[in-house]
Amino acid sequence: MSYLNALRLHFAGQFQANVSTVNNDPAHYDNAQFKASYQTLQGANMRPPNGWFNPQGDGTFKLLGCQVMSAWTAQGMVSASDAVLGCIVADADERVCGKMADLDPEQQLVSEIWGLQMRIANAQGDTLLQGEFEPAAFIDIWDRATGSSGGDTIAGATYQSVLQNLVWGDISASPFLIALQAAATDGLLSIKFNVDGMNLDFTSPDFMCGRVVGTIGPATASEPVHLLIGRQFMAAPGPNPNFFVPLGGLNFFPAVVDTAGGLIYLDLGNAISTNVPGGVMNNLGDLTLNVYDPIMTPGNPAGSLDPIGTIPATGPGGYSSDPTWYGRTAGVVVLPVSAQLLSLIAARPLIMTGGPNIEISEWSSGVFVRADTFVYRLSPDQSTTIPVYAMQWGQPLQGAAISFVLDPSQLQPTPNSWPYVGTGPAVAAPTTAISFNASGVTDSKGVAALSLSTTDPGWPRLFASGDYGIDGQVYGIRASFTNGVEYTGPVNQWNFISVLLWSGFAPPNPVTWTEVGPILQQYANLYPVMSRFLDLGDYDSVVAHAGILTLAFSLDVHDPNSMPVTRDLSPAKRAAILSFLANPVPGKAQAKPEPTHAPAAAGHAVVGRSPLPQGGKAAAAARRLILQHP
Amino acid sequence: MIRLQRSMLKGLTGSDVTVQSVCSALQSAVELEHATIPLYLYALYSLDEAKNAAIAGIIESVVVEEMLHMTLASNVMNALGGSPVIDQPGFIPTYPGPLPGGVESELKVNLAPFSMDQLAAFLQIEEPENPLVFNLMVTAETPITIGQFYTAISDSIAVLGNGAFVNPPRNQVGPDLMRESVVVTDVATAQQAIQIIIDQGEGTSTSPKEQTGGRYAHYYRYMQIQKHQRLVPNPNGHSPETDYTYSGAAVPFDPTGVYAVPTNPALPPGYSSGTQQAFANNNFNYSYTNLLQALHLMFNGQNTRAEFNRAIGLMMSLKGQAKAMMSGIPNAAVLAGPSFEYQPVNPGV
Repeated sequence: MSYLNALRLHFAGQFQANVSTVNNDPAHYDNAQFKASYQTLQGANMRPPNGWFNPQGDGTFKLLGCQVMSAWTAQGMVSASDAVLGCIVADADERVCGKMADLDPEQQLVSEIWGLQMRIANAQGDTLLQGEFEPAAFIDIWDRATGSSGGDTIAGATYQSVLQNLVWGDISASPFLIALQAAATDGLLSIKFNVDGMNLDFTSPDFMCGRVVGTIGPATASEPVHLLIGRQFMAAPGPNPNFFVPLGGLNFFPAVVDTAGGLIYLDLGNAISTNVPGGVMNNLGDLTLNVYDPIMTPGNPAGSLDPIGTIPATGPGGYSSDPTWYGRTAGVVVLPVSAQLLSLIAARPLIMTGGPNIEISEWSSGVFVRADTFVYRLSPDQSTTIPVYAMQWGQPLQGAAISFVLDPSQLQPTPNSWPYVGTGPAVAAPTTAISFNASGVTDSKGVAALSLSTTDPGWPRLFASGDYGIDGQVYGIRASFTNGVEYTGPVNQWNFISVLLWSGFAPPNPVTWTEVGPILQQYANLYPVMSRFLDLGDYDSVVAHAGILTLAFSLDVHDPNSMPVTRDLSPAKRAAILSFLANPVPGKAQAKPEPTHAPAAAGHAVVGRSPLPQGGKAAAAARRLILQHP
Repeated sequence: MIRLQRSMLKGLTGSDVTVQSVCSALQSAVELEHATIPLYLYALYSLDEAKNAAIAGIIESVVVEEMLHMTLASNVMNALGGSPVIDQPGFIPTYPGPLPGGVESELKVNLAPFSMDQLAAFLQIEEPENPLVFNLMVTAETPITIGQFYTAISDSIAVLGNGAFVNPPRNQVGPDLMRESVVVTDVATAQQAIQIIIDQGEGTSTSPKEQTGGRYAHYYRYMQIQKHQRLVPNPNGHSPETDYTYSGAAVPFDPTGVYAVPTNPALPPGYSSGTQQAFANNNFNYSYTNLLQALHLMFNGQNTRAEFNRAIGLMMSLKGQAKAMMSGIPNAAVLAGPSFEYQPVNPGV
């Protein structure tokens, strides 16, 4: 079971991801070189260097105006009288909203959502179901809006996770929710949502908002959390990407076959492009799902495509012609499969075809491998086992040899060129600080274990002027089939494991301001929102707020109020800060940002010039190591 | 001094006193204490702290104590077996309007940015009763002061006696969570809790200082802003009126350090839908409603550290949001003040 299942609901609305952007430039982590102007909103074309497009962002992730658009059971669409159809999908109503966090300034392409509570509630806001969203990172980011030029606004991406700690309210008026509760025997729900159409215009009421469209269904504890065991359609890379352009016009997507029911569930929610950001689907022609029959005959030397079903682009309910299609379905399409085709597809690749040049398929071998959770934060001398799932034809693949290699190619060190204020530190070194098995073999569940252990990387990302620089180091690890001859096909560049390995930190006892001051000054520099509460770089201000800081730094990292919002503070430094707050011994004063002479609110874009923000994700994607050293 | 409708005393005197009638008065007390908080926060967050730090500090210190008063009134109510109701639309007063229970013709309070006029309204809310006036006012037709209201509650609790209190302690938010709070279990602790509310608001008849904490009562704290100087002890004093003088450090007011946010933003036409102001205001009101829901839980049995921390987190969130809205973040051309309205669903843009 998963969200891609007969029992599911679809929802649509808006999200706000109010991230701070001062940390978009890794060189802003250099306290000694930090200037107050780096906290100001970007002017035209980011000259002079500044705080990018949302320096005052508070890191919140909100769900806004999201509605249940449709709900389905094995018997089909629920009746109009089912109370779930009038429901909203909202975030927490008795605590603060969720938070967004990048893993690292040199790996900004796996932004995670932390501390998000999701609710299904009636139109008055009364909760019918509440669950905690297990933190998840986005994947499969691509250039979704094809009619617009560049920047984050054209991006689409997807999040998959589970809701846990479920609390059910009065669901008696919703047969659907009663069925969902009965199916959630492990107390878990599966959730997948797609985000696109992010607005970076600070003069718009939609600033930092975008479209979210998603699906919720049952989950079991035996399944991966962030990954479907299913059929995986793999896109080859096309030319001139911002993030990723699928050569065949359709982005990566999964499918699940229900053999008993004679159905196939396709999740096209992040696969079909739009013209404008957050707009209706482009017309890629009627999309036909085929199974490839490789048997060559004299009249058919390439084998044949046997059509299974078609998803119309136009006409009533067409995915492109009907503007309500995406919200109603979240891109999930269910096609019947005849008994004859069911036996054929059990071991043959699926191919989706559409208009001219529209095509995507499984690998000819039908295999796929990916880590379930692909973002990790680790301390020195820590070990962890990462489950990596292999599948073939949608089923767990047992006995497959999986290779694990360091792959820094998608990490994002900074060149010393506009718009960056300095060279960012090198990534993925020293390699000696991270060790893991070079290969593994999948078990009966298709799982190969990547056993990772760490040592102290030292201080590989210091800046010339001192302090602590950027803590630790980021690494990438890619899993692939050892048998690259039999198992071959387009590789998803985003399919790798990101690791932030923190530096060791052993301050003297008692900890003084000399040791913790630079840590807190860096947060004060990078997150101007903090100045609404205190001056984190000022000893007296920190001591005056020791109570609330102790609370915030002591909270579980899953708590939405946990400080820092960015989840990038090592346990060792956290312990040092808490020790200092309990006994704030003075020390050396900190390097202060060079003051700006402009008033605080005057760093806004020059009036009369329309803001054309490139965005943080697009900038990060453009400086990936693979593009610097192709 | 603000004056309340005499009907607020219903059930607090003579043979009318019942647990139910005292709890009803305590619910009014919780609402009254809360009603000042949006007023004070709106003024507080309208200040640019770089220019008006002293004034901001004074207002903030009062707000914290109003929250304590809400807690104390809730503790007494819970100790009598009552259940404070906080997560309801009607819990929030309408601005402009009278305070809950207030005499409408006397003081209509406005949700307004800080000004000396608004300060005058705060002073009126917090002004102690004049004993001479007090003697004139206890006739059947005249309104009552807030102090009289609390004194009547305190007296009625004595009438109820210790037998009316729930033991073991019920739903108490004690000093482990909120400093200076009182766990109420009997007449003595209930009267102690109520006396703190009276003292912190008005001071005692012989000193501007509250007995708990040793700070000045709210009225005198605010007077420092009006007098532009700190209240300090006068070594040459020889009577309650001369023991202190407004002659300490400056409490300057810089009118350029007040953000130009609207007064009473909920008044029609309000913020137009689809604007940045409406978006920020909706987010704020949703968080504010969440806080009321969190407080409702905390005062109705979920008196845990975790619940308290959730409420603190929401208060911090509201502070951050309000400061952003009022100071023109993200768009310096667009300022907005939060309307403090009940909003259990966030509609988004």
